[in-house]
Amino acid sequence: MKKIENKKASQIRQIWALVRKSTFIKLGVSIMILFGIMAVFSPIWIHINPEVYDPIIGADPNVHGSVGPSLQHPLGTDDIGKDLFSQLLRGSQVAFMLGMMVSVFSTIIGAAIGLIAGYYGKIWDTLLMRLADIILTLPRLPLLIVISGIFGTQSNWIILLILSLTFWPIISRVIRAQTLSLRERPFIESARVSGVGNTRIIVKHLAPNVLPIAFYYLTVTVTGAILVEAGLSFLGFGDPSNMSWGMMLQWCFVKGYVFKAPYWMIPPGLCISLLAFSFYLIGVGLEEMVNPRLKKR
Amino acid sequence: MDTVLEIKNLGMSYDTTEGSVSAVDNVSFRIMNGEAMGLVGESGCGKTSLGMCIMKLLPENAKITNGEIIFDGEDIVPKTEDEMRMIRWKGVSMIFQAAMNALNPVYKVGDQIIEAIVAHENIKKEEAREKVRELYKLVGLSPERMENYPHEYSGGMRQRAIIAMALACDPKFIIADEPTTALDVIVQDEIIDEIKNIQKKLNMIMMYISHDISVIAETCDKIGVMYAGNFIEYADTFALFDNPLHPYTKALMSSFPSIEGPKKELKPVPGEPPNLLNPPRGCRFYPRCSYAEEICRNERPEFIESESGHFLACHRVI
Amino acid sequence: MGKYIIGRIIQIIITFFIVMSIIFLLFRIIPSDPSSFLLTPSMTAEAKETIRKQFGLDEPIAVQYFIYLKNFVHGNFGTSFYSGRPVMSIIMERMLNSILLITTAVIIAYIIGVSIGKAIAWKRGSKTEKFFVILGLWFYTTFTPWLGIMFLWIFSFKLKLFPLGGMITPEKWILDPSLMEKICDMGYHLILPLVTYVLLWFGGYMLLMRNSMLETLKEDYIVTARAKGLKEKVIKNKHAARNAMLPIVTAFAISVSFSIGGAVLIETIFSWPGIGRTIVEATLRQDYPLVQGAFAVITLVVLLANFVADIAYAYLDPRISY
Repeated sequence: MKKIENKKASQIRQIWALVRKSTFIKLGVSIMILFGIMAVFSPIWIHINPEVYDPIIGADPNVHGSVGPSLQHPLGTDDIGKDLFSQLLRGSQVAFMLGMMVSVFSTIIGAAIGLIAGYYGKIWDTLLMRLADIILTLPRLPLLIVISGIFGTQSNWIILLILSLTFWPIISRVIRAQTLSLRERPFIESARVSGVGNTRIIVKHLAPNVLPIAFYYLTVTVTGAILVEAGLSFLGFGDPSNMSWGMMLQWCFVKGYVFKAPYWMIPPGLCISLLAFSFYLIGVGLEEMVNPRLKKR
Repeated sequence: MDTVLEIKNLGMSYDTTEGSVSAVDNVSFRIMNGEAMGLVGESGCGKTSLGMCIMKLLPENAKITNGEIIFDGEDIVPKTEDEMRMIRWKGVSMIFQAAMNALNPVYKVGDQIIEAIVAHENIKKEEAREKVRELYKLVGLSPERMENYPHEYSGGMRQRAIIAMALACDPKFIIADEPTTALDVIVQDEIIDEIKNIQKKLNMIMMYISHDISVIAETCDKIGVMYAGNFIEYADTFALFDNPLHPYTKALMSSFPSIEGPKKELKPVPGEPPNLLNPPRGCRFYPRCSYAEEICRNERPEFIESESGHFLACHRVI
Repeated sequence: MGKYIIGRIIQIIITFFIVMSIIFLLFRIIPSDPSSFLLTPSMTAEAKETIRKQFGLDEPIAVQYFIYLKNFVHGNFGTSFYSGRPVMSIIMERMLNSILLITTAVIIAYIIGVSIGKAIAWKRGSKTEKFFVILGLWFYTTFTPWLGIMFLWIFSFKLKLFPLGGMITPEKWILDPSLMEKICDMGYHLILPLVTYVLLWFGGYMLLMRNSMLETLKEDYIVTARAKGLKEKVIKNKHAARNAMLPIVTAFAISVSFSIGGAVLIETIFSWPGIGRTIVEATLRQDYPLVQGAFAVITLVVLLANFVADIAYAYLDPRISY
């Protein structure tokens, strides 16, 4: 028993050593922490002067038209005197939340469907994988635009739902392939022969084994979700009751300030790109660790 | 007789995350003109690594740490990749395992052999094709098969094609790395017979790597036994079978059925090979040896000639 | 092979049929009044009547469904509310513009990505490899409209090197210039969106090719190739890259579906009159026949791209026979 524990501990130590060596993961985590701080700082900043700094309802009455950075407004204001810095901070919260939630939901859906398709096979497999194929071939952004158009006003919850429903197929395919190969391994076979129930086999034996890959797709999905949400918001299909980076850039674009106010145009796009970048970097770093075939020759 | 290949104190190790693994340690032997030498040992004993050292086809994390590999009068250890390219296939070629993906799946088998010829000889593609046709006949394949892809061959046919490929540039020396593993028994016998035939016909100098000592006994003049990266016994095939000296060799012989001899109970070699990250200080076979003494634990036995032409690394026998 | 192709075609038709049905349902079930999305209050009574007839709005929903399918099969997507032109002709025109931009961009990105991916896989673990991986990843995850705006700001607004958008300079085209001048003018407008596109997309192909190449380099036949004493270049290009390309072909098809998403954003930024921008504008204007038509055509293109990729894969990999 002690030996097993030691083995586990040494495994964790090995993984930790690999993580510390990975430039990609280190860089990704550093950027992510930066945005985490921004998200946490958001309410503190608003608290200083809610009437001016609230990203939704606040505005600086002394400002007319968009002005550049100053002490009161570190990033300047938009055309109606709203503080851009507080918008940016709030955007960090929204992007984090949405990205994470979409990725968690779609990973759960994808993992569940992949496990079921791979483990039960037969008609389940065919049906679920066909469905995955169809969703994969759908052009995602146009589809979201069309759906947004039909729903009329948009809320982040609907965006969350639709994104989760379109992001699961890639995950489910990978998980299914893994499950198929795992299903033939001796330890699953012996569990089945000794009369362990199907659900229990899936939960106890298969799920832990596909977890590392699921984790990789989790991070990559965050990137996708952040970029698609930003794209939707930028095109004017975002949640009007909240603030997001995509929306900041949209207003800058629509109101004709893109060339006049770089202090307004640059930060939101940079933040979207950097946050998406950080998650993807972590994903790639993880892939290098998980996939033995990518290791050095 | 002249020496074709002489290996002196060769050492090779792999760098892993857990440390350095010495896969080949202090190995010395020589192969004379016209000789076929067999290399036998359990999997993981370093026999394939040794073969790869001779071609200098080492993975990135492996390096030759010391010793010399004198092929055709020249030490190839210090040679550059470019110089090695000339030696490969023309000087030393290799019969790979067919079970492995040794043939590129997207090219026709014939073309893959032609490619090797054209890379080394200054001849036209058509002449090379003619030569491959001859080689196909030699290994017992129909020349039309050249136009097929690897996946259209059976396991035995693929192995024959790989033998043909190894012969393509008339190499001085051939390494056969487990050429019959993973084939079914009947095909295995066919391939071994084929190799024996060709060997006689072409007077091939070769090193035959296998974990199966009975296969080696059939094909080779001399046998080297490897254990955990060390050479532990090296002798003439008859001498070795008549009088195996090392305890491991004895154990190895009783773990395989002999084809002609009387039926006897097979005894697997008890225990496991040592972890090469941290090999035993003395004799590497010491933990599994039933004759082990105090000296075996502390001192590495030297590899010396105990009888004429019979080399051995064991404290007990000497 | 023939059997396989027919099978795939049937599969495409079924998928397309399912997608079309989903669109039909989405458009008809969600709004409370099924005609509200097809009829706008500003229409004349006569126009309303024509649309009612065209879509069979007075019929039960099942009959409407068949009329809808029949119209699609005949390529009749109705008339745009906004411009009054037949949807089909608008789509064809915009589609051509998009194809000009997307295919050029995707092909360039593909070539650049695959070449770099191949080269850096060979130099595994080097600084060059890390640099290109990070660079490619950065552009791959850069927010498309932002990169477009940045480029417009720097190259068009500040440096005045390129036009601020659009596909042609109308003032020039009124004068009826020669074909050569027309092509040059279009090329001049194409450069900036094209560069944006290529930068955004090469990273994806590069990473895929690198990974695929790294996996291929571990194969036994690479050892064989080295053992045969072949030149590095031959091993890399002939033996490794040829096999590593196989999965990239499939990825190419999937990327077509994603690149249309990118087109929506790029065409909006650069005012490129393509299908992506059309679908955004039509949605914002509630021009539903145009939205339906554009979406159907986009889906069809994506399905066809997948089909072509499958065939190409079968052609490239001799192990696959149908």
